[in-house]
Parts: sequence; structure tokens; C-alpha cells
Amino acid sequence: MRDRHLKYLLVLPAVIVVFATAIWPLVESLRLSFYEGRLSRPAFPQSFLGVENYTWAFLEEPAFWNSVWVTATYTFWTVLLTTLLALGLALLLAPGGRLRVTVQSLLIIPFAMSPALIGVSFRFMFNPEFGLFDAFFGIVFPPLATISWLSDPTLAFWVCIMADVWGWIPFLTLVLIGGLASIPRDTIEAAQVDGASGWRVLKDVTLPQLVPVLAVVLILKAIFSLKTFDQVYMLTNGGPGTATQTLSHYVYFNGLKYSQIGYSAAVAWLMVIPMIFLTYAYAKFVFQKK
Amino acid sequence: MAKVVLTNLTKRWGDFVGVDNQSLEIHDKEFLVLLGPSGCGKTTTMRMIAGLEDPTAGEIRIGDRVVNDALPKDRDIAMVFQNYGLYPHMTIYDNIAYPLKVRGTPKPEIEPRVQKAAEQVELTEFLHRKPKALSGGQRQRVALARAIVRHPQVFLMDEPLSNLDAKLRVSMRAELKHLSHMLQVTTVYVTHDQIEAMTLADRVAVMKNGRIQQLGTPDEIYNDPANLFVAGFIGSPAMNLIEGRIENGVFVTQGGFAVTKVEAPNRSGLVLGVRPEDLTIVEPGTGDFDVPVYAFENTGESVQITGQFNRQRVIAKGDRYLKREIEEMTGMSVDQKHLYLFDQSSGERIRN
Ligand SMILES: Nc1ncnc2c1ncn2[C@@H]1O[C@H](COP(=O)(O)OP(=O)(O)OP(=O)(O)O)[C@@H](O)[C@H]1O
Ligand SMILES: [Mg+2]
Repeated sequence: MRDRHLKYLLVLPAVIVVFATAIWPLVESLRLSFYEGRLSRPAFPQSFLGVENYTWAFLEEPAFWNSVWVTATYTFWTVLLTTLLALGLALLLAPGGRLRVTVQSLLIIPFAMSPALIGVSFRFMFNPEFGLFDAFFGIVFPPLATISWLSDPTLAFWVCIMADVWGWIPFLTLVLIGGLASIPRDTIEAAQVDGASGWRVLKDVTLPQLVPVLAVVLILKAIFSLKTFDQVYMLTNGGPGTATQTLSHYVYFNGLKYSQIGYSAAVAWLMVIPMIFLTYAYAKFVFQKK
Repeated sequence: MAKVVLTNLTKRWGDFVGVDNQSLEIHDKEFLVLLGPSGCGKTTTMRMIAGLEDPTAGEIRIGDRVVNDALPKDRDIAMVFQNYGLYPHMTIYDNIAYPLKVRGTPKPEIEPRVQKAAEQVELTEFLHRKPKALSGGQRQRVALARAIVRHPQVFLMDEPLSNLDAKLRVSMRAELKHLSHMLQVTTVYVTHDQIEAMTLADRVAVMKNGRIQQLGTPDEIYNDPANLFVAGFIGSPAMNLIEGRIENGVFVTQGGFAVTKVEAPNRSGLVLGVRPEDLTIVEPGTGDFDVPVYAFENTGESVQITGQFNRQRVIAKGDRYLKREIEEMTGMSVDQKHLYLFDQSSGERIRN
């Protein structure tokens, strides 16, 4: 009889930790989003504002819409490019693919680096005075060597995307290799014998069977892209201007730099909306009945 | 339609030899069965013919063409895989139609051909389903239909019936036999089930350790085995193999036990082979030898009596109304016309 209650006692520490570090801050941030919460003033938080923080973001803040746009395009391109490149690599590296296994272990290096570190390294590499890229272009194609990559809004945006794609390819490749390995070899060989060329086997047999894994990869990457912060923070710090300011960066800036905690909590909660949809879709694909 | 010729075909992985320098000619329209125990290289041989495995050495011809360097799709073959290899995301119709579509068959031709193939394997009512929604036997038939929907030069079938239950296997076997008679296409069929081999084959190649031990009609394989391995592998229950020597026209086994008269010169280091159905059960004292009954089994259609002398056991098949008690003495008489002698060390048949 007592054993029955023991199990609750055993999970209690975990429940407390989750509550203290995840649930409570969540609830608290939701509460704050309805207040005028300026860190710079005493008596925190200040007056109750209702939904004014939210309407402010929507109606009065072009910077908010700018970061929505940056985040959306950033997510679109990183998801697309990472998935395509990872798929290509996975096809080469999968069992029966064309490359050797040792390459698989090399591949993990970018993923072993923290996003902040990736940001710093790319920032060095794109430095106009002593950066690797301009030095490289100086030899290969001098007209490109004078470009100051991180000062141009468009180029800076693409450098961010490049760093992100570079950092995420390994993980997605490994997931896709796993997915490819679980496709029955029989079906692929049957297609070869049935008369399909390599390309048709891929299109008609391999990819359709990879769809569930691909969906998981797309959703996961979208979730991570949407909340990109540390890499952009280290690489461009949102600039030049606000050209690379993602939503997370915008939240951070308003909250901790301008001390508008209430407003940034509201924006953070706006980010939750697409996340909920993505997480729901993710759970659906991962936990679907086989 | 075409013949398939394998010349000195070898497959090695590192030091391990999967198929060992085999040559084999499969005639046009022939139904050839590769038979042998697990791991003897049957699948490997077939996969090399299909182009799914590269031979280490040797040559493969289909028709008049050397196909060693041809991709599977260019070999004009159809294959039935052991686990069917159906496309799980396609309907049965699309599964069967796939070889036609991918080879650019004109659209209006596809539909009637899929229908016909589905009729031949009695699948017409399942065409809209996915493979998951079919039973093992039905999936098996989809795999067959997908193979026969084209008119390939060669059919390759890798243990296509091994996943079915005993009853379904027997009925599918008959269907296969009928189908192959109708289609008249050169077929290579892999199995480790000797009944399948005997009933389906025009010729059987018995394999062991990557080598063909004997190639012949089912009749030859059964009645004229080339060596100990083939003799012991074919037949159920297996042939009785009794070690011993010949002394003055009598085969004598351990302990000086005289088994039967044999017309052959004196020689030791021999194995005598007698099929259970060539051993007749008689009253004690009236046959070639008497043995105590070790086991009595009734299979319904016949009885099997196991006798034991010293450490040697012999099985005889008898009439289904026959009865013997365990430990009771029984006589056994040997059919002199169907005795086989083998060299004990080399396993080769000794013909006299
Ligand atoms: N890719 C491989 N690498 C190394 N050895 C292999 C490989 N494929 C098969 N073999 C070995 O080659 C031998 C022959 O294999 P094969 O699949 O042809 O056997 P089989 O006669 O079809 O057996 P079964 O009746 O069990 O299907 C086996 O011993 C197997 O372990
Ligand atoms: Mg096999």
C-alpha cells in the first residue's frame, strides 16, 4: 500500500525543479506582460496595463515588425538550406552511400561548438582587416576582398544564415542518416531491379519513405531557427542597424537593455504562438502510431 | 527469354568466400532451383545475377550479353524478394504498375496489364489497398504480380514462400508451378526447402559452402546423389548413413554387425546409404538384420520406425497400419537396388 504513494514521493524533486525553473517563470512572465514593468524604476512592476503591451507591439513599433520579418526570412532560409544540404550529405554518408564512415565523425565537429562560439568565429573570419574570408578572396578573386561583409545589411543577414546552416548541418545529417538507414533495403533494391534509375529510386521510393523523418527535421529546425539568439548576438548584435535583429534579440534588447521587462515579456509571449503550433506538429509526428 | 550463364563466379568479402568459383548454365525457359542450407551462398549468387552485388571474379551472361557491368535496371530481370520488398507508400495497383511506369510503358497499356497480372495471382479486389493491409500470402502474391507484369528475360525468386504458413505454402507452391508453366520464362529460384525444390524444379543445384555439389533433375538428385552431402540433405526423413566396411560381400558396421549383402570388393572407410523407404519392415529373422525398436512414430500417411544397434540408428518407413512396440525386435530388409556407397573421408560416391 505504501509503495503506491512512494512513487509520487520519488518524482517530487523533479516536479519541484521543473516547477521552479520552467513553470513558475513562464507564468510570471505572462503576468508581467500585462504590466508596465520598467526595471529602472522602483516599485516593480508598476501599473497594470492590460493588453496595451501587445497592442503597442502591433501598432506602434516598426522595430517589432522588422524583427518579425527578419526572423521569418531567417527561419525560412536556414530551414530550407540546412535541410537540403543535410539531406544531400546524408544520402552520401548513409550506409550504402558513397562516402566513408570516417567522414561521419568529422562531421560532428561544428555541432560540438556552442552557437555563441560559432558567432564569434564567423565574426573573426569575416573581419575586413584580418578575416579569413577577405584574405581568401584577396588571393582568389580580389574584387570581393574589399567587401566589408558585416557592415552591409543584406550581406550580414546572409553571413548569419551561413553560420547557422554550418552549425546545424551535422545534427540534421545524423538524424537523416538514421532515417535513411531505417528504410528497408529491399524496397530500394526492388526499385532498382524494376528499372528505376538512381534518381527515380530516390524520388519514388527513398524520399517518400523518409517523409516522417524529414517532417521532424523541418519542424525541429524551424523551432530552433525561430528562437535564434546567441549566434546573432555574437556575430552582428542585430546590426547593422536592425538588419539581423531576430525576435529573441529584440526581446533581449527591450528587456535588458532598455529595461522594459513588461513589454519584452509580451513580445516573448507572441513568439510562443508559432512555437505552440510547431511543437504540436512535432509531437504529432514523433509520437504517431506506427 | 534467355539463358543465363555463370562462369567461374566468385564472391569474397575479405577472406570469407561466399560463392566459390561456380559455373552454371541455366537453359532458356528452365526453372532452376538453388537449394542448400542457410549461409551456403544461394542469395549471394542470385543477387549477383540481379546486379545487386558485384562479383569478385567471373562472368555473368544473360542471353548473349555479358552483364557484369550492367546496372540492375538494364538487365531485364524481375525479382521476388524474400521479404517481398513492396513499396509501403504505394497502393497495390501502383506497386504492380511501377515496373511498367518506370520503364516508360505507354499509359493506356499499363492498366490492362496490371489488371491481368492481378487476375493471374487473384488479387483484383485488393488493388486499392496499401501493402500494410494485406496478409503475408497476399503480399507474396503482390510481389509475384509485380514480377510477372513485365515480360522479363529472367525471373529471380529468393525464398518467396518462406514467410508463409505450411498450408499456404503448399497452395502457393502449386500456383507458382502453374504460373511458371503458363509464362515459360527462365527462372532461378532459391530455397532451402527440399520439397519446394523437388516439386518446382526442372533442375536443382544443391549448394554447400559456396559450391554447387550436384546439378541435376530432381529425380537424379534424389535417386543418384553425387556425394554424402547431397544424399544426406535431400529426403525427409534423411537417408540412413551407416559407417562401416565391406568384408566378403557383406557390409559390416561397428561391433561387427552385418547389415546387408553388397556386391563390391573388400574395402574399409565406407558409408552405406539407404533411404528409409528402401528399408522394409519385416518379421524378425526374415530380413537382412534384426534391431530393437527405438522409436515408433505415426505420421498419419505412414509410420516411421527407428531401430538402434550399438550407437547407430536407422529409420524405416512402413505401411500406415503397421504397429511395433518400443524395445520389441523387428526385422528390416534392404532394397538391394537402391544402395549407395560413399567414401567416408572424401564423401564422394563410390559407384560399382
Ligand atoms: N555483405 C556481406 N559481408 C560479409 N559476408 C556476407 C555478406 N553477405 C553475405 N555474407 C555471407 O555469405 C554467406 C552466404 O550468404 P547468403 O546470403 O548467400 O546465404 P544463403 O544461402 O542465401 O542463406 P539463407 O538460406 O540463410 O538465406 C553467408 O555465410 C553470409 O554470412
Ligand atoms: Mg538467402
